[in-house]
Amino acid sequence: MTSFLNAIISGLISGSLYAATALGLTIIYGVSRVFNFGHGVVAVMGAYLAWTILSAGGQLNMLLGILVSLVVLYIFGTLVYRFTINPLMKKPAWDISTVLFLLGGGILLENVLLQIFGPRVKSIPLLVEGNLKLGPVAIQLNDLFLIVIVLVGIVALNLFFKYTRLGQAMQSIAQSIPGAKVVGIDIERIFGLTFGLAFAVTGFSGVLLSTKYFLNPHIGWEWMVKGFVIVSFGGLGSTNGAIFAGLILGIVEAMVTLYIGAIWVWPIWFVIFMVVLLIRPQGILGGRL
Amino acid sequence: MKSIKKLSWKNILAMLVGLFVMVYPLAGANSYMKHLFILFFIWSVVAASWNLLNGYAGINSLGNIGFMAIGGYASGILAKSLGLSPWISIPIGGIITCVLVTLFLGFPALRLSGIYIALLSLIFADSLPSILTQTREITGGAMGLHEIPGFIPHMEKIHAYYICFVFFLIAMFIIFRTIHSNTGLAFMALRDSENFATTLGVNRFRERLKVFAISSFLTGLAGGFYVHSLGDISPTTLGIEPFLLGIAMFELGGIGTFAGPILGAAVIVFGGEFLRLAGTLRLSLLGLLICLIILFFPGGIMQLISQAETFIRNRIKKRKPVEKVQPT
Amino acid sequence: MLELNGVDGYYADLQVLRQVSLVVNSGEVVAMFGPNGHGKSTLLKTICGLHQASAGSIKFEGKEISSLPSHKIVEMGIAYIPEERHLFRDMTVMENLKMGAYNRRARPSTQQNLAFVLEVFPRLAERKDQLTSTLSGGESRMVAVARGLMSEPTLLMLDEPSIGLSPGMRHVVFESIAKINREKKITILIVEQEIRNALKLANRIYMLKKGQILFERSAADVNVEEIEKAYF
Repeated sequence: MTSFLNAIISGLISGSLYAATALGLTIIYGVSRVFNFGHGVVAVMGAYLAWTILSAGGQLNMLLGILVSLVVLYIFGTLVYRFTINPLMKKPAWDISTVLFLLGGGILLENVLLQIFGPRVKSIPLLVEGNLKLGPVAIQLNDLFLIVIVLVGIVALNLFFKYTRLGQAMQSIAQSIPGAKVVGIDIERIFGLTFGLAFAVTGFSGVLLSTKYFLNPHIGWEWMVKGFVIVSFGGLGSTNGAIFAGLILGIVEAMVTLYIGAIWVWPIWFVIFMVVLLIRPQGILGGRL
Repeated sequence: MKSIKKLSWKNILAMLVGLFVMVYPLAGANSYMKHLFILFFIWSVVAASWNLLNGYAGINSLGNIGFMAIGGYASGILAKSLGLSPWISIPIGGIITCVLVTLFLGFPALRLSGIYIALLSLIFADSLPSILTQTREITGGAMGLHEIPGFIPHMEKIHAYYICFVFFLIAMFIIFRTIHSNTGLAFMALRDSENFATTLGVNRFRERLKVFAISSFLTGLAGGFYVHSLGDISPTTLGIEPFLLGIAMFELGGIGTFAGPILGAAVIVFGGEFLRLAGTLRLSLLGLLICLIILFFPGGIMQLISQAETFIRNRIKKRKPVEKVQPT
Repeated sequence: MLELNGVDGYYADLQVLRQVSLVVNSGEVVAMFGPNGHGKSTLLKTICGLHQASAGSIKFEGKEISSLPSHKIVEMGIAYIPEERHLFRDMTVMENLKMGAYNRRARPSTQQNLAFVLEVFPRLAERKDQLTSTLSGGESRMVAVARGLMSEPTLLMLDEPSIGLSPGMRHVVFESIAKINREKKITILIVEQEIRNALKLANRIYMLKKGQILFERSAADVNVEEIEKAYF
């Protein structure tokens, strides 16, 4: 029983982290219909930026590291949109050219990071130390903290989409691009802001993930693939769907590890992905941005 | 009228190059060059088949490297464990590839559009390494297969060279015929206007399946030829590097053109030397190359060639005095 | 208020607009007739920036707008109600209407405009918290028009607002347009196939055939039969 409970908790934790990484992916797709095949490297970049600030030493560095990571990636996202995605979207077959471009760009950046930081794993220290005992199970306080951050983040996103002008504009574009044009929304400008926001969120999720798992330039690939599976399951363009899907799949992963064996984890992810794509490509859960 | 074939400079050039390729080994090419040419023949077929799927049929598959691996592994395993002659195991490998791909990718692709096919095919190719590791006893796991028998006993590089060259010619012929066949025309029609084409009776599903079958079969064959020419195969054949190289080949050459992938393969294989010199920066350069090509040269080399052609033609026109055509 | 001169428009190699010149004066209701596929929708889309004219000038209140992006044109006061409606399907009626007031100029008057459109379309007041994907054809048409009104336009362009509606709904739609023009003094440019009702509404009419303006008439000087004959 204890191991079952532990697995559930562990699944919820990892699931919420995976879900956090999926957010950026689903936001970009939902608004601009672009699949960010460079997603993994963006998360990793966020983590490395924070790590760099942290290594410089000092007190409030964790907060500063996260802040720098958010700002730099936001700017980076808007630049990537403006100078590369925007021109590509004006030409035919943009859906595949953006994919290949982001793929190539992702590999480029991943290897640049490799050059800068080397292949040895880094870790970002825990945000909080200690354990919490709840009856038979023990939860690391850091993990609890991570779940809380993700939940707060999701609530914040929901409020953002519902009550801010930018959020509403993004929702409108996600639901109907001609409709958005007709009410006077500047589509290209919102696309740029969306990329910036999504990159910042993704980078932040990379920081979170790196407090729990080890960081090296190649880990982004794994995060990205899981992100794609989560997004497909949860509904393309639905942030709440992504969170639910992440939690569910996180628990599934934990159950599989417990009862069948860790070696089956990757194959199960692939099977789920294939099944979703074959049965219901628009996602099992679905919902608004 | 019809019997007068247009001998464009391109055709002449192609024939000359073909002639050169035929004689080169006899004229004393060294082992390394022969090796590069073998790689070029095989990669051209992979790139051209990939281009058939992506460029002509508009099916955005990203997993073709996987087809090559399936064909190669299948043929290698059959030849090693069952002692089959490569002349039998390679076609079987091709057929196995064709069947697996058409089942797992072709049929689903009928229902999915654009990006989903890309995702699915990527996952398909991505999952192959784990399957290979799981089936260590048969496939040699991470170590791969080694000492795979050649086409003939005591095979030398030069034999492999000519065998692969012939395979290259036959495969290109098949691809050429497919592009110019009813299937090829069907795809042009579908590309231009799907509704209209469907009313004409063009069956999108059937044509897509056909192209999947041809493309995967040829790529699987290429994998088989690869394996028996070089003697080894391992999961790194499916790694990120060959994957990017493959994409770079048909992007560089020009998607949707016949000669494009061949040119792209030539540049990548023979120019690969520079990549090797770059050492650990290899992948960054590849990624950068792909980004630059997509942003600035989406039509690849073929586009540059036709632009150059137009430019030169215009210059010639300006120089020659315009002759008045007398009406008869 | 709106002046087109020599506007040409293409879809790839196909020319759909040929040297279109027309005028819409402030406060008027101008109707445009013509066979389907002859460029009427394209013309409206070109005016509001959803399609690029390849030649010619489009002036709104004296300013050249032919190369402006669509959001700037909405900001200037032109609202376009497309035939396809393009509503935000996962949003309620109210949310759609509020999105209509997105542009900077219209924001401050959101509440007043809301009150006005709900008065013009009382049906929508009943349905205001319903998702637009659950509405009937006529109701979603109303939402589309109402949403356009929320942007505080001085020129409202409607593309076949009555198409596919029951006679009762059509009547409501035309009545509402008349009311909008009367009470808010909003200029109307309407493309329609429902000649009789549109003629009753209009001050002047244009006939667009094969992408060209065939003729222009004052509504009083022309009758339905003449227009119908011009279709062939």
